[in-house]
Amino acid sequence: MKVIVDRTKCDNHGQCTFAAPTVFRLDERGILQYEENVDESLRDEVEEASDVCPAQAIRISD
Amino acid sequence: MTTELDVPYLDIADPGFAMHSQAVRDARARSWYAKTNYGYAILRHEYVSTLLKDPRLRQGSAKWPEHNGVHSGLFYDWWTKCLLVLEGEDHHRIRRLLNPAFSLKHLEPYLPRFEALADELIDDFLPNGQVEFVNEFAQPYATRVLCILLGIPESEWPTIARLASTIGLALGVTLQQDLAEVEAAIAELYVYAEDLIRDRQVNPGPDLVSRLVEANRNGDSLSDDELRNALCLLIFGGMDTTRNQLGLGVMSFLQHPEQWELLAAHPELAPAAVEEVMRTNPTTTWVTRETVVDFDYEELHIDAGTTVHFFTQVSGTDPQAYPNPEIDITAERVGHYGFGGGMHHCLGHFVARADMAIALRALSSKMTNLRINGVDEWMPDSGNTGPVLLPLAFDRR
Repeated sequence: MKVIVDRTKCDNHGQCTFAAPTVFRLDERGILQYEENVDESLRDEVEEASDVCPAQAIRISD
Repeated sequence: MTTELDVPYLDIADPGFAMHSQAVRDARARSWYAKTNYGYAILRHEYVSTLLKDPRLRQGSAKWPEHNGVHSGLFYDWWTKCLLVLEGEDHHRIRRLLNPAFSLKHLEPYLPRFEALADELIDDFLPNGQVEFVNEFAQPYATRVLCILLGIPESEWPTIARLASTIGLALGVTLQQDLAEVEAAIAELYVYAEDLIRDRQVNPGPDLVSRLVEANRNGDSLSDDELRNALCLLIFGGMDTTRNQLGLGVMSFLQHPEQWELLAAHPELAPAAVEEVMRTNPTTTWVTRETVVDFDYEELHIDAGTTVHFFTQVSGTDPQAYPNPEIDITAERVGHYGFGGGMHHCLGHFVARADMAIALRALSSKMTNLRINGVDEWMPDSGNTGPVLLPLAFDRR
């Protein structure tokens, strides 16, 4: 599955990094870095990341 | 570039200090930061946006009890284990377990009950043409929303409101003299929370407490103590803030009646109305951080352990980020920091956004021509602010 982050909405709060730490991380400047192509086994974690994002910037494209 | 001589100084410990003042606007025009009694204040949106989430800063309230001479006891123990001040893995683990229960999809089933509650409270005072907004609407609404979410009988709201307000005294500079009262309230709230947790462990329902009891990630779950601490934080952090923000919001619209009429005519703008009042008139006027390491940013050097306040209202009305900074519920805006930001971003923001949108929509649909009706009384315009008394008169729509 493909992870899409709307960079115009993302504000680097980093809540997604708690939900799916192998997909999302903040770099040393606090800017979001993430994997775009993610194994299906991580779907629950990425959906949780999307649900808890304060800016609602994350979606999954199948 | 700000040179050392240009750096403004803001006496934010002065009870007369006001965020909504020419002195603060002048400071923001001169410099992106100011010196304060405690450390530094960040004034401009661009810098708040960047530094609030910088990993070289940590939440700045961890040492609040110690700074006020409190080194042990019930309040100290709760505060130092509270999500608000935890950092690193301890924080991330608990935040991760709490976050899903506060997501939008779990909130949606409750929205009709929030709507019914808003209507019930408004209909009680509507025939009078006047209302003391804090005690007749904002406080019962904010507290009963919490009761609904937690699955507590709404009739118990006065107890919850009293405990939340008393624990709120712990944030004041009179903490030492209020300590006995604060600790008695925490003890009472602990018993309340423990009973609630025990009940939901046996009788799970659709409520937030049940969700937290059942929260589990990879075999990890919240211990009973962690659950209790989280519920106390929720009640402490969820009531006063919403009550105060509703009062501030209504005051903003009282001062901008054309915006109130616009909201009444376009109820779908209620979510934007919430964002606009939180941007221009937030209850949390500053968010506190502390530098973890010696810190260089542009021309500024800050030693490790220095307090940095992010001024939310000041950055939220920064003309560089908001060319026409006055409240406008139809405008496209960049985000504000009324809910803080970064890993400590407000946990309950979806709840607050939804319940305040419902309240403003209901109020604007039934009331017009809002005006002050007597003597209003306010907390200082700094720290956490809002009305103590807000007597209003209005015409029925």
